[in-house]
Amino acid sequence: MRDNWGYVFAAYAVAAVVLAGYWRHLARRAKVLTGREGAR
Amino acid sequence: MSTYARRAWMILWKDVLTERRSKESLNALVFFSLLLLFIFQFALGPDRARVEAALPGLLWLGFILAGLLGLGRTFLIERENECWEGLVLTPGDKSAIYLGKLAGNVLVMAVVEAALLVLFAVFFGLDFTAALPQLAIVLTLGTLGLSALGTLFGAIAAQVRARELLFPVLLLPAVVPVLLGSVSATQTVLLGQPLGEAAPWLKLLAAADLIYLVVGILTFEFVLEG
Amino acid sequence: MAARALGWLAIVALVGGLGAALGYAPREAVQGNVQRIMYLHVPAVLTAYLAFGLVVVGSVGYLLTRRPGWDRMALAAAEPGVLFTGVTIVSGSIWGKPTWGTWWTWDARLTSTAVLFLVYVGYLLLRGMVEEPDRRARYAAVVGILGAANIPIVHFSVKWWRALHQPSSILGPEPSPVAAPIMVALLVNWVAFTLLFAYFFAKRIEIARLEEPHAG
Repeated sequence: MRDNWGYVFAAYAVAAVVLAGYWRHLARRAKVLTGREGAR
Repeated sequence: MSTYARRAWMILWKDVLTERRSKESLNALVFFSLLLLFIFQFALGPDRARVEAALPGLLWLGFILAGLLGLGRTFLIERENECWEGLVLTPGDKSAIYLGKLAGNVLVMAVVEAALLVLFAVFFGLDFTAALPQLAIVLTLGTLGLSALGTLFGAIAAQVRARELLFPVLLLPAVVPVLLGSVSATQTVLLGQPLGEAAPWLKLLAAADLIYLVVGILTFEFVLEG
Repeated sequence: MAARALGWLAIVALVGGLGAALGYAPREAVQGNVQRIMYLHVPAVLTAYLAFGLVVVGSVGYLLTRRPGWDRMALAAAEPGVLFTGVTIVSGSIWGKPTWGTWWTWDARLTSTAVLFLVYVGYLLLRGMVEEPDRRARYAAVVGILGAANIPIVHFSVKWWRALHQPSSILGPEPSPVAAPIMVALLVNWVAFTLLFAYFFAKRIEIARLEEPHAG
């Protein structure tokens, strides 16, 4: 069977983008909120 | 009659009376069924075999679309006429309200489904009489599930501003098993096969109905608070 | 903070898992290397189920106690849960293309997972539409409980429906019976995903607490 490494990498790439994206979203949101807390 | 049952009955009776006097919802829903018929025909084209092959699915598509309109309005009458506090302040077990509203919805759906069956029979030259008793059983099980979910989600959606958007978004994913089971069982029945052939699906529908009813009864009071 | 520790642990585990999936695990005999997607797909769906279990716990907890911590738990589990479900579906679909020739085949497990996805996206949409915290928590809890109760029903209905319309061909994306390196790679990735979820969960709760400090 042909080796479909392209598909394997595509799947992992999608997962990485989604999960890393959420990671950054959370980090950014937390930073904004703690910044706000500190400013009070 | 116990107070609980009487409360449920009062809700049902009040809704039936209101509907009988104004006739607004039921007329519109039945007319909607007629419109659906034309839409289905135009969407599927003149090939009658195609319509007949898709018949179980089309029937339930019609029921669900009518349900989206009709069930979503379950609590609108209280919202629009400022009677909501009356519901919230009802003493005792509020799930009586849920059952009363559910009964009303089942009645409305029954009328709409009967109308749709008649319209299909007339416009597509179909004969349901042979399968009618079995069809009634399938329709009852499916409608019960659809209405149990619709009444609960209707109560939530009624209290949210974007209710026309929220109601389908909540109802449609939840109603998938009811749809799958009802369409399969309907197909079995319309093909003239004995009801026993559809037994697994009927059991699934019955189990689903039970679960939805129990969750609805247990959680309704949390939906209905101030 | 516990969240940071979890975060670092997760990263280490994920790197290990990736190595295990792409290098350590053997090339599968029947499907070839495309089977390696399973080391992503299976842990993702297991993590999704963990997430939705927590949504139910949080939902019931809130309805019984009215303490906001339970609602934060439900929200913090639902958000990443939806993401892991999405990853499950997309990875399953990408696996399907070279295997079955199409991007989507209404395979029973993929379809059930898709319905689960729709239910919990609806859950998050509902949350977005209600501003008052107590109402939001109550309505979300009811929808969350119903969604969870529906899971087995959806599972069976889709499975039987599928059996009607298609003879069971290849089973859904499953690893072939358990050569040890395959199990090891699966396990490592599963642990890694669970750690990642735990980090998301902890972080999301922290954010929720910051957003509503008066809620207690």
